[in-house]
Amino acid sequence: MALHINLYHEVQKARQLKRRDPLKLSMYGLSGIAALFAIYYFVELGRMHVMSVELNRVQAQYNSLEPKAKAAKKREDEINLEIRKSDLMAKRIESRFYWAPMIEQISQAVPREVQITRLVGDLSGEGVRKCSLTLDGLSAGSDPRKVAEDLRTAIAEKLGSKYKSATSNFKSLEDGTEMVLLDGRQMPTASFAINVTLTTGEETAPAPARKKR
Amino acid sequence: MKLAREEIQKLILGGLILLGVVYSYFDLLLFPLKKHQDAATKSAVALGPEIQNAQTQIKNTQDLEKSVGEKTIVLRQADAMIPEGSPVAWFPTMIGDFLKRQGIEKVTTKLNTESVEKELVGFRRLTWGIDIPKVGYGQFGGAICALENENHLLEIRTVQIDASRDDAETQRATITLNNLVKQ
Repeated sequence: MALHINLYHEVQKARQLKRRDPLKLSMYGLSGIAALFAIYYFVELGRMHVMSVELNRVQAQYNSLEPKAKAAKKREDEINLEIRKSDLMAKRIESRFYWAPMIEQISQAVPREVQITRLVGDLSGEGVRKCSLTLDGLSAGSDPRKVAEDLRTAIAEKLGSKYKSATSNFKSLEDGTEMVLLDGRQMPTASFAINVTLTTGEETAPAPARKKR
Repeated sequence: MKLAREEIQKLILGGLILLGVVYSYFDLLLFPLKKHQDAATKSAVALGPEIQNAQTQIKNTQDLEKSVGEKTIVLRQADAMIPEGSPVAWFPTMIGDFLKRQGIEKVTTKLNTESVEKELVGFRRLTWGIDIPKVGYGQFGGAICALENENHLLEIRTVQIDASRDDAETQRATITLNNLVKQ
């Protein structure tokens, strides 16, 4: 076997060592990682840009809609107020107390033996209204007190069929001093005062509280 | 493979630099970017319902606007019933003419009180006293009926009828009524 001497082994070893330099290899590795980091950062930057564009678009849409929505809300409040006023007006008109039917019913209840000398009616309250009526008069007949009593009950019956809780009471009932001519005969009289009370209408609902925004 | 002392020093220095670079990358670049992204996403998501609400509000108002004419017809009719000008100028004349058409003459109408309507904004309530010195009971009832049916903004509050001693056929009547007028 021939002896082979490599006179360049030192040079080759130095080259080999230089090629496998850990510092150099780690620098390559680090550069790779840095490149990946940079790529990832730019990808994220791109996503951020897309998101900013989307946000700007949404913000611009909101900015254009917001004044319109505020104006719409204001107009809605105005319209609702008008509607509420209109409803209230309709309710007021519909829930008015009508005196004419009551005057008619009283006139139907008064017999020919009675003369009403004074009628005073007063309406009080809103929503549920209380009407009080005072009738002063003279009744004549063989039993004028009974005539007056018949009138009181007739009024209570007539008004009770139409109004809620209609009551009719004597405020006073006294024998009169005067005699009157009725059907060609002199008849004794009685003076009376009848109080009539009745309620009508419905309780008005309280106005809804304004919502806090 | 043995590392020389100098190489070990270089490796340690390189490692330290690497740590610094990684820390800076995350703390100065990536995390602030993510924070911005999150904030932008949140803002965009939060604006979604706001836009939806604004669009709904606009649509609701448009729908309401379409029906306002129908829903406020009573108010507009009531407005049309009230003449222009001071009520003291037109109301007594209107009542006098009205009762004259019912065959009742010599009527006196006076303004008693005036108050602002709290619920019906833009309206006020006037209370009038009407004195009718001579009227038949039936005639008076008919006039009251017509007054209540034809004037929807009136409400009679008190009625007083006194029989006359001199004339059994006629009475003296006094009524107090409320009337709604524009403010």
